[in-house]
Amino acid sequence: MQRSIEIKSLGKVYQHPVRPLQALSRISLSVAQGQFVSIVGASGCGKSTLLQIVAGLIEASEGEVLVEGAPVTGPMPGKIAVVFQDALLLPWRSALANVELPLELKRVDKSLRRKKAEEMIELVGLGGFGDRLPHELSGGMKQRVSIARGLVQDPSIVMMDEPFGALDELTRTRMGDELLRIWEATQKTILLITHSLSEAIYLSDTVYVMGRDPGRILEQVTVDLPRPRTIDMMGSETFGRLRNRLWKLISSDGSIPSSDE
Amino acid sequence: MAVSSSARKAFYAILCLAIWQAICSAGLVSPIILASPLSIVLAVRTSGSEYLAAIPFTLFEIVVGICVAWILGVGAGLLIGTSQLLSVAIAPILSAIFAVPLIVWYPIMLIWFGLGAESKIVFGAAGGFFPIALNTVTAAQSFDRRFVTLGRSLGASGPRLYWKFVFPLLLPPIIAGLRIGTSFVVIGILVSEMIASTEGIGFWISTYRTMFQTGDVYLGILLALSACMLLNWPLTVLERRAGAWRDAELLTFGR
Repeated sequence: MQRSIEIKSLGKVYQHPVRPLQALSRISLSVAQGQFVSIVGASGCGKSTLLQIVAGLIEASEGEVLVEGAPVTGPMPGKIAVVFQDALLLPWRSALANVELPLELKRVDKSLRRKKAEEMIELVGLGGFGDRLPHELSGGMKQRVSIARGLVQDPSIVMMDEPFGALDELTRTRMGDELLRIWEATQKTILLITHSLSEAIYLSDTVYVMGRDPGRILEQVTVDLPRPRTIDMMGSETFGRLRNRLWKLISSDGSIPSSDE
Repeated sequence: MAVSSSARKAFYAILCLAIWQAICSAGLVSPIILASPLSIVLAVRTSGSEYLAAIPFTLFEIVVGICVAWILGVGAGLLIGTSQLLSVAIAPILSAIFAVPLIVWYPIMLIWFGLGAESKIVFGAAGGFFPIALNTVTAAQSFDRRFVTLGRSLGASGPRLYWKFVFPLLLPPIIAGLRIGTSFVVIGILVSEMIASTEGIGFWISTYRTMFQTGDVYLGILLALSACMLLNWPLTVLERRAGAWRDAELLTFGR
């Protein structure tokens, strides 16, 4: 299978005159084309830093990231779409205009970008809401627009940084199903960062567990649940066993404080 | 019965004027203290020509003062707000100077720039500069940096990143500063004309006051008020346009 993302002994140190912070250390992982991969870990384990490095938004201190065989030197909007935790829609633009934005930056012809944006709005299930302003949309709808904005450039990889973290559990579960549907329809490679163990298992082919101080990969866990996934699987024995395993890995790393942080 | 709101407003305005006129006509208040509406209208005969000549002079000062205050205020604000060093070094000094009444500097400005339009323009522009610069500094310091990350991830950089993702975020607070600053410019210019000058609306208001021609004083005030309202109006429209999304967001917060 073709490698979509390949990370080789990646490290990141945040320079500081007194106490430099080793955020990431010797991260190695690879994601095959079309895979759904999650990275889970406690808050502060550097998962978002990792995502931003892969997306070319910040520089690594050591190691290398290859995207489709080419080293990452900066943002690659045509190849990688990033979906952030908060939808980050430009509040003065309609949903449709927000989805058009990446094409506008690429100077795509006006009628063509309108057409593509409308298709994406349709794909994420927001047909008829294109002319709404972000403040007129619910949290889940905003995140759908944000996903549509990511998909409109037809990237091969979609990276998501806790995209459903700000949503309530019911919406979150539904968005997970939506994401699976979109993934199956578009055949993208998805790299999802989350702190929800269930979400990671439910959605992914492979889950990477991260520990903190410094942020590193503890283990690669393959999710041996059949596809398509259904909500009933969450109650299955396999699901419970996987969830326990992830939990033990993270808690034995000392990443989970005994009381609330 | 439905009465349109503008008709109602007009009715109340006329009512107020009528009561005002009645009080004056009945001789309840000395005409030196309160000029009647009628005497203000009649003042056009005595002071109309002076004011007519003064209007372009004062308007010129105001327009130049506004241009200077806007350009320097927004420019300095962006410069200071985007530089960490200047934010720490200069922004507090700006706030401190803004807290001191600028009028104490006016005698010095008179010595430097003379009795003519220059000292008025400098004084008015200085008054407008501070709120504009301070608002712009705050805007540039406190906008949501995540939009920059977003813009970069979408392939924007340089001027386009600034134009598409940052500038619209800064616009509402900057325009709010421009509104405050603009009225400060007008106030500064009228006040400085009243204190020491040889021309302008403020000069005539002050002159007629010393001659106890209260009707002529009121006419000048009326002209000054009209000028302020006229200048404020386009800014109000602009503010509403540029900030529409922000107001709507605040109103629906938590929905």
